[in-house]
Amino acid sequence: MTSLLAQLEFDWSQWLVPFSRQWGDETFCSVLVGVACGVLGCFVVLRRMALIGDALSHAILPGVVVSFMLTNRTEISYLFLGALFAGVMSAGLIKLVSQLSRTKEDSSIGIVFTAFFALGIILASSLPRGTHFDLKCFLFGDPLAVGPNDVLMMGIVAPAVIVTIFLVYHRLKIASFDPLVAATMGISVSTIHYLLMGMLSATVVAGLKTTGVILVVAMVITPASAAYQLCNRLWTMLILAGVFGAVSAAAGMSLAFITNSPTGPAMVIVATVLFALAMLLSPQHGLVLRAMRRRGMRRHVDSEDCLKAVYKLDESGMVGGALEVARQTGLSPARVESMLRSLRAERLIERKGLAATLTPAGRRQAAELVRAHRLWESYLAGEAGIDMDNIHAEAERLEHVHELADEVEEKLGFPRRDPHGEVIPSREGPAEART
Amino acid sequence: MIRPAGDIITTAEVGGAIADPRVDRMPGAATSGPPVIAVRGLTVSYGQKPVLRSVSFEVPAGRLVGVVGPNGAGKSTLLRALLGLIEPDSGSIRIAGLPIEQARNRLAYVPQTEAVDWDFPVTVFDVVLMGRYGRLGWFGRPGRSDRAAALNALELVSMSEFVDRHIRQLSGGQQQRVFIARALCQEADILLLDEPFAGVDAATEQAIFTLIGKLTAEGKTLIVVNHDLSVLDRFDLVMLLNQRVVAFGPTRDAVSDENLRRTYGGRLTLLERADTALQDKQVRP
Repeated sequence: MTSLLAQLEFDWSQWLVPFSRQWGDETFCSVLVGVACGVLGCFVVLRRMALIGDALSHAILPGVVVSFMLTNRTEISYLFLGALFAGVMSAGLIKLVSQLSRTKEDSSIGIVFTAFFALGIILASSLPRGTHFDLKCFLFGDPLAVGPNDVLMMGIVAPAVIVTIFLVYHRLKIASFDPLVAATMGISVSTIHYLLMGMLSATVVAGLKTTGVILVVAMVITPASAAYQLCNRLWTMLILAGVFGAVSAAAGMSLAFITNSPTGPAMVIVATVLFALAMLLSPQHGLVLRAMRRRGMRRHVDSEDCLKAVYKLDESGMVGGALEVARQTGLSPARVESMLRSLRAERLIERKGLAATLTPAGRRQAAELVRAHRLWESYLAGEAGIDMDNIHAEAERLEHVHELADEVEEKLGFPRRDPHGEVIPSREGPAEART
Repeated sequence: MIRPAGDIITTAEVGGAIADPRVDRMPGAATSGPPVIAVRGLTVSYGQKPVLRSVSFEVPAGRLVGVVGPNGAGKSTLLRALLGLIEPDSGSIRIAGLPIEQARNRLAYVPQTEAVDWDFPVTVFDVVLMGRYGRLGWFGRPGRSDRAAALNALELVSMSEFVDRHIRQLSGGQQQRVFIARALCQEADILLLDEPFAGVDAATEQAIFTLIGKLTAEGKTLIVVNHDLSVLDRFDLVMLLNQRVVAFGPTRDAVSDENLRRTYGGRLTLLERADTALQDKQVRP
């Protein structure tokens, strides 16, 4: 492969002039390929067929070369049938080899696709020199070769793929999610499989000129995987993957122009960046949002601690300055300042000179916390049998789960006092609790 | 009512399937009548290796049937054959008198939880709605009545509040109930459950049995493949399977020390036998 790469001489800038005719054709084709690959890719990813996708893109080579030999044309429409045939045949052979021998499916994929690829290389090298079609074009894409005919072909293939998926959406869904149950309903799972393989072959051969066979699998898997991070519904995943595919293709074209590099790799890099962003930012699984949620929780707990400290200072007739609150809560003065600011913003406390006093709403909420704390203490000492020395620290944690306080109270039979002998405020508010 | 396999094959040939004339009408069973499942001489092999040998049995409607046996006994194969997913070497399966192809929508399969891809982007509602897909045809879309059926099925398993949850965000018991709801949404009257108690805690097991009991009371027939011998007394009928039917009948008759030994061969450890013996004593006080 390295020697192959060394032979290549790229000079991309000549045809990448933005808004030229060639650029327009190429971008249009790439975006269509991106959308079709992205949408199809969802099923490839969900069915764990990534390896098959890779295999398929390689296995269409002999079909493409034979088509070229017969027609001597390089437009996608002429290569199309050959590629489709080789693709579906290799998918069939992969199944056959793993069924008829003890070969596992991944090995059988490896055997079949390398064999097809090797055959394709031999056929391609037997082509007379100087023809339009050569390995370089096949492996790395050849955007220069994109012509009006290809644009037309892609304009047909990509919408056809999308429409087909739309039409048989529900069958695809159940056959991918639960093939066994689909089969019991009389749905032919293998028909679905070959339908997908056929559409994948068609899309891959279309992507051949824009990204080349080696990288086209990235257009299938990466945008779909990015969408997978973000979605809990299949149809949103399909739409998002299509959008990611289109964005990768379009942005890849621009990147290729800026960096004077081949288009295929640039598209793959954009797709990978999208995937990385999805991984970091996903609402459920994303690393960044998880960290933010943790931080938010921490803030919430600290601000409740501060509120309670102000309440206690108030109760004992002292003036609650920030430093005093910091001493009580063990938080840094800067942190306490920040918490008091947000408590003021929520109108739970108000400033009185240097000190903070509770608003009626703040008093209610603080009393709720104290109530939760004392109820949890009673629960820990009574029901859970925890040592008296440890219940306070544990209740400090548990008081933040004040939404369970009512249940605890009921479970304990509405106690009046906590284990330390302090009055537990009633739910209605602090006023009568202190009487 | 439990009958011997009839004219095609005799009881002796199926390895002593228990045919007890006393159990014509069993307490707790809602209905009785012609068998909804009639299997005769079912033989299945994978290549040279036979998995089921001449299996025959009949299940009346509304019964809760437990199928137990060691690994490789052909339990899953039996389920797959009942679902029409396997072409048997010989023998026949009739669902309410019809061949499987004509009775597909009377059967529903509840898969093992570990066989499900819990990361698949589907909500609880999506999964249950899939129960209707069998009737849709190639280009069909679920309509209003299908949605109503799915919601109704969720109501039946008390999972209505989880409609829009992603399936990953459910507990083990809830996951199990979602798939039972899908089977109900198929409007099947025969439910085949594959190891529903694998990896669930005692409370969940109890909840599933309560649900299952409710379903049989409504006349549904349930075939439950099961690993756990300690729950056998909860079934109406038990099949001990090890390639052939070692015993089939009401729990108190089918589950005996001797039958279990024959089912599990030498593989049943002393401890397991002790457990079984203990349970045996409970079954027959």
